[in-house]
Amino acid sequence: MTKTRFTIAGLVFAMLFGALGASGIARGDGFNDAVKTIEQFYHVKHQNIPFLARAGMKAVRTAARIKGGEYKKLAEAGSVRVVFFEDQNFDSRGQMASFKATLHGILSAEWSPLVQTLAPRDEEQNHIYVRAAGEKFSVLVVTIQRREATVVQATLAPQVLADLMKDPNEMGKALREDATINDN
Amino acid sequence: MKTLFQTSWKLAPVLLLMLVGTVTARAQGAKLQLDQLDALANKANEAVDVRLDERLLQTTAKYFTGKDPDDAGVREVLKGLKGIYVKSFSFEKDGEYSQAEVDSVTSQLRQAGWSKIVGIVSKKGGENVEVYLNTAGDQINGLAVVSIDPKEFTVVNIVGPIDLEKLSKLEGQFGVPDLGMEKPKAKKPE
Repeated sequence: MTKTRFTIAGLVFAMLFGALGASGIARGDGFNDAVKTIEQFYHVKHQNIPFLARAGMKAVRTAARIKGGEYKKLAEAGSVRVVFFEDQNFDSRGQMASFKATLHGILSAEWSPLVQTLAPRDEEQNHIYVRAAGEKFSVLVVTIQRREATVVQATLAPQVLADLMKDPNEMGKALREDATINDN
Repeated sequence: MKTLFQTSWKLAPVLLLMLVGTVTARAQGAKLQLDQLDALANKANEAVDVRLDERLLQTTAKYFTGKDPDDAGVREVLKGLKGIYVKSFSFEKDGEYSQAEVDSVTSQLRQAGWSKIVGIVSKKGGENVEVYLNTAGDQINGLAVVSIDPKEFTVVNIVGPIDLEKLSKLEGQFGVPDLGMEKPKAKKPE
């Protein structure tokens, strides 16, 4: 009886920790910090991707495969963390450079800035940070548009990073698309 | 004598720091301070900031396999580089950035070690492109390109052994814009 209780308690703990690990911002690191910075600067709230949306993304990927043309995955399996901000106001009020500086101040201890593209008139910005993760690299992509934003963290093999670095301006878009049409 | 000896020992750490500082300054000499330009982003149509440090460049270089001749060329260029830094701003109207902002970059290029390469022109036309080399003796420590146009302001700073020929291999890649630079052809004797 006692053994069964311990087993159940263990399972409950495992599920709880599993759920924390799976939700986008449970861990306190660059990803979490980037999400918080966006929330504080723009007074917005993030949403994790709902379960059904993830299923939808899987369907999109499957559909893409059926259509022809093999989808080439960029991120390492299981490494992607994504947070969305949907249908909220991301008005920088002429202070986009200030957001860039704030984000840099928070991330720069552990992450190196790679590419940042700001288009204040269109209220669009991309921030890509990178850090070593053993033999691989972790990449953090913050994309903000007028009404939505995305934060993506993924681990990349050095070969993939090398390919993406040839065109750093497109790197953010490629990684964001990779993260949102993959369910890993 | 004892006092002199004791004073020398006290001064040793200071001298050591100065020596280390000088060596570091020489290595960093080709890296320009460009963060002061960041505020321009608020006025720009588009602002691009690319920073590729030595570790990233060397990691990347390994994966240019050399099967493609272009890749082999790029790998050779990347091999010794310590950094590629690009800041580029495009504006809707003329005159949205000031001479002071340009000077904050060009004043660094007037310091010792930097020399302007004369006779560089842009194939695009209309742009004032200036190229500077940072050298120590025969060794090239870095290169800077400043492109000034009424509606665009771009600074490219490459740290490490690089020349114009090598730079052309990087144009359009690694965040280095296509500057369309060329040396004027020498006139044939009549």
